[in-house]
Amino acid sequence: MEKTWRGWATGENRRGEFEEVALVHLDAIYRSALRLTHNRAEAEDLAQDTCLRAFRSFHRFNPGTNCRAWLFTILRNAFRDRLRRGGRERLDPEAADWEGEWQSATVVAPTGQPEEEFFLTALAGDVERALRALPLPFREVVMLSDLEELSYKEIAEVVGCPVGTVMSRLSRGRALLRQALGRVAREHGYLKESP
Amino acid sequence: MNCTELESRLHPFVDGELGLADMAEAEAHIAECPGCRGRVARERQFRQFLRRQPRESAPHALRERIRAQVGRTARWAAVRRWSAVSAAAAAIIAAIALLPALRSSTPLVSELVDKHIAFTQMEQPAELASADRQAVEQWFRERAALRVTVADYSMVGIRLIGARIAEARARPMSYVLYEKGHVPLSVFMVPVTAPEGDLRGTRVAYRGHDYVTQERKGYRTVSWTDGQAIFGLVSMLDYDALLECADKLRTERAHEARL
Repeated sequence: MEKTWRGWATGENRRGEFEEVALVHLDAIYRSALRLTHNRAEAEDLAQDTCLRAFRSFHRFNPGTNCRAWLFTILRNAFRDRLRRGGRERLDPEAADWEGEWQSATVVAPTGQPEEEFFLTALAGDVERALRALPLPFREVVMLSDLEELSYKEIAEVVGCPVGTVMSRLSRGRALLRQALGRVAREHGYLKESP
Repeated sequence: MNCTELESRLHPFVDGELGLADMAEAEAHIAECPGCRGRVARERQFRQFLRRQPRESAPHALRERIRAQVGRTARWAAVRRWSAVSAAAAAIIAAIALLPALRSSTPLVSELVDKHIAFTQMEQPAELASADRQAVEQWFRERAALRVTVADYSMVGIRLIGARIAEARARPMSYVLYEKGHVPLSVFMVPVTAPEGDLRGTRVAYRGHDYVTQERKGYRTVSWTDGQAIFGLVSMLDYDALLECADKLRTERAHEARL
């Protein structure tokens, strides 16, 4: 009885529930779409596509799990479908390639104070700009962890890789982001060129 | 734990994703090692810095566009679902064609739909605005000597708004108004003195009871009679929801009658 009674969430009911549970995360979806596409019109389009896909498969969402994580998974799939159609950004075998390439590049462990000062004075938008320069596999884990605050396990599910891979991409991604921010800082003249 | 081991676990440590044992070991190491302590502090500072970044909101127009599109998709889904159900219902009706159909010359259901439209368009659809079921039931008893059952639909997000005493066939009838989101649901009870064959529409059996469903002016109706009164539900909600509400009202009313 109970089950059927709750089970008829259809039509208007399903829509109301969707708005309460999923659509409240539209800001996060839009922000992430913007970080993936680098373009407002495309981000809006992608966010809209994501929401409609989510609504159509809302019956498959498991209440009690993180709805934002579920939405990010759909966003990621929608984005990858677009890339496949457009063939613009490098995808598969993205991770392997990128990781090889970027692991071999020297990433300097943060050593000192100058960068920390920059973090206090960074302009709004610097982080977003620096983030967009990161290759997709690193960008997405940093974005999901540091900006959208998902757990490693949730990120692993969204990205479809083991938790260990999330960890290594995150550590690499954060180091790359630091470097990119340092570059921005030097361009702005906040930091002197290191000797 | 030494410095190299800490370095390899730095991110899960800072993110609080290490197991308890590893966490304790890491804590112990940084308590003793100023170098690693500084490293952890810088990493934490960087994370806090990232989390403090201003967060952009979605444009208002985008939100409205999505809501409208979701609404259209939902309505189509409901229509498709109901077409499938009515096809199945038609088969059942053919099989039970020997049962006497409820027939009538006066379309009571049309009257209820018109009242639903009229009331919900009023500035104050309810004479008595109350979300208290008992208060509404008592109000009907005192004001119109009507024994009304106000069913509880709160667990599916249907809120009780209030009630009014209306008229059908020059006799008082009860009108109870609910809302699911912004979709109103009207529940009418028309007392009858003799069994009336007053309901037209499609006969549907649901959980062992017979109902008559009919769509008028874009509203869906579900009605039935228990010999003492005719009950009618009118709403834009889909038939699944209406039948479930009808079944719940019937169950609660039967339960009250036994008490």
